[in-house]
Amino acid sequence: MRRFFLPVALGALIFAFWLNPSVQDIAAGVAIFLFGMLMLEDGFRLLSGGLLERILQASTRSTPRAVLFGTVSTALLQSSSLVSVITISFLSTGLISLIGGVGVIFGANIGTTTGAWLVAGLGLKVNIAAFAMPMIALSIVLVFQKAKPLRGIGYALAGMGFLFLGIHYMKVGFDSFNDEIDLARFAMEGVAGLVVFSLIGAVATVIMQSSHATMTLIITALAAGQITYDNALALAIGANIGTTITAIIGALSANFQGKRLALAHFIFNTLTAFVALVLIVPLRELVDWISAALGIGAADYALKLAVFHSVFNLLGLALMLPALTPLIEFLTRRFPRPRLDISEPHFLSDAVDAFPETLEAALRKELVHLYENAAGILLKGLNLNQQQVYDSEDIPALVRASREAVEIDMDAAYEQRIKTLYAAIVDYATHIGSDDQHPERIERIHALRDVASDIVQAVKSVKHLRKNILHHTTAERGAVTGIYDDLRAEIARIVAEIRLLGQTPPEQRSALWLDQERATVEDRARHTTQKVDALIRARHLSAADATSFLNDSGYAFAAMRDLIEAARSFYIERDPAIAAVEHLVSLDLEEMHETLKGDAPP
Amino acid sequence: MGLKKLTEKLAAYFERLETGQTHEIKPDHVRKVLEKLHAKEAELRDRLARAETDEKRAHLQQKLQVTQEHISRAEYLLTAIERAD
Repeated sequence: MRRFFLPVALGALIFAFWLNPSVQDIAAGVAIFLFGMLMLEDGFRLLSGGLLERILQASTRSTPRAVLFGTVSTALLQSSSLVSVITISFLSTGLISLIGGVGVIFGANIGTTTGAWLVAGLGLKVNIAAFAMPMIALSIVLVFQKAKPLRGIGYALAGMGFLFLGIHYMKVGFDSFNDEIDLARFAMEGVAGLVVFSLIGAVATVIMQSSHATMTLIITALAAGQITYDNALALAIGANIGTTITAIIGALSANFQGKRLALAHFIFNTLTAFVALVLIVPLRELVDWISAALGIGAADYALKLAVFHSVFNLLGLALMLPALTPLIEFLTRRFPRPRLDISEPHFLSDAVDAFPETLEAALRKELVHLYENAAGILLKGLNLNQQQVYDSEDIPALVRASREAVEIDMDAAYEQRIKTLYAAIVDYATHIGSDDQHPERIERIHALRDVASDIVQAVKSVKHLRKNILHHTTAERGAVTGIYDDLRAEIARIVAEIRLLGQTPPEQRSALWLDQERATVEDRARHTTQKVDALIRARHLSAADATSFLNDSGYAFAAMRDLIEAARSFYIERDPAIAAVEHLVSLDLEEMHETLKGDAPP
Repeated sequence: MGLKKLTEKLAAYFERLETGQTHEIKPDHVRKVLEKLHAKEAELRDRLARAETDEKRAHLQQKLQVTQEHISRAEYLLTAIERAD
């Protein structure tokens, strides 16, 4: 089907151009309009610099706020598709709730109605091409500037200019069309007209991938008298259905949250369209009444269509808002959260790819997932039970009591629970981090990639220990068991401390808490050789066991350093000024020993 | 050694600040860190009171000492930043 679509579409366009040259103006107008929408999107992305995302997070805390955000952002961007993409990305990474996301999508439907007002109110009444040209010319100067906000303004201005130019060409096309062909003779009345023109509106929107472009085309054709008002109403209803088909196609490859949102969008638009079709006669009368109240002329069908578009979308909102809670329950039942496979990334998905601004948040969540997997493997590798370690008030005693061999194939566990996740983190951090983003964000993303590397190195280090841990700690073998127990306890303590740090509320958390852990590790690493020497001299340890242990302790302390470094980088204060304070206040190893002088760790 | 290294670090910070290579620290930033440190101190005291083994007590005691050192450094920093502000 898809194979034939492109040649058929191109062929049909060329045939239409040959049949009537005015079609070229209309088609070019649509193309320029769509191009303008893309530029407007790019402009706002550059301009917002994360503002849009921050507002989105804050505005989805209540349904009215979410609806308002969807309405205002779509009206500003003149594109509900960008708002949908951002919403799906945020929903997929768990940054907003489903109810908030659905609220935004409902609001976006209201926001799209501003496009019809813009075209009918301004586009057809004023010679907007006269504004378009200087806008495009001025924008190009700004687009070549280095500063992102200026480039953003340039793209947005160019986008607006192209939107205006597109409307102008559509208008010119339909005006010259009038001299040759009268499409109005294909007008259909009654139920047949409603059904056929709704279908045409839906198909046109699927082809153009934009209900906004379809509405503009409908309004310009209506103003040129190429379609009747009744048929234009049906086309507008069809455009609302068509836009959901685009969303559904997009959601086929999305995760369960994307599917839930697409279904909510489909239900909203289909129900609204159905109600509008059924109530077309009273709605038409209501539009006439509102138009008269607003001072819109009885024959100004373009503006009346804009009123109709707003009225029936508001009607949809009024119908759906009271049913929001059952709708959310239905969506959750229809697309349940799939059972999470701990070996697969949970937060890094195509949705992040579609909107890279969510990458940092998704990466942070994925790192916690990687750390949880790593902690489980590390502790099992040390013959310890993860939950018991987390619950323990006395880790050294727990370690001494843990003499049962815990079954784990370290290589298989690494392949299954670490490697895929690590690969996904590196992949996303590298390919999205290299895009044109804020340099400080790129630095933070690369720092997060290094956190993943430290966690992975810690697991690899413990893999080296596994054989001797199994041999020396599953039975009481004297001094050698004691020194291996010390290593196990030290690693377990650090894993537990990092977990505690993760559970501390962010406003109370500081990477400074790890200063002392770092000092303890270095202190113990230094004393290990002296301890082993003493055990050899006292003949409690054979030279062979001592060599193996010193080798293993090297791996163990490397794992501890990697874990502390990973936690320190991960939990570093995100406000750069506070991070600078913490850097100044932190103690280096020499200062730490000075502080703890005469109070060396046991 | 005392606060010698902190003084050196602080001098380096002011140098970087003059050349625009670092973010400016305001007294409020230091106060926020101090708030976290005092909360940590209270938490450690609480954990210390509940600790059941000597080893755990010794470890928590060290943590407390380090946190108290952080507090005295942050207080010194606050005075320095307030003077410079």
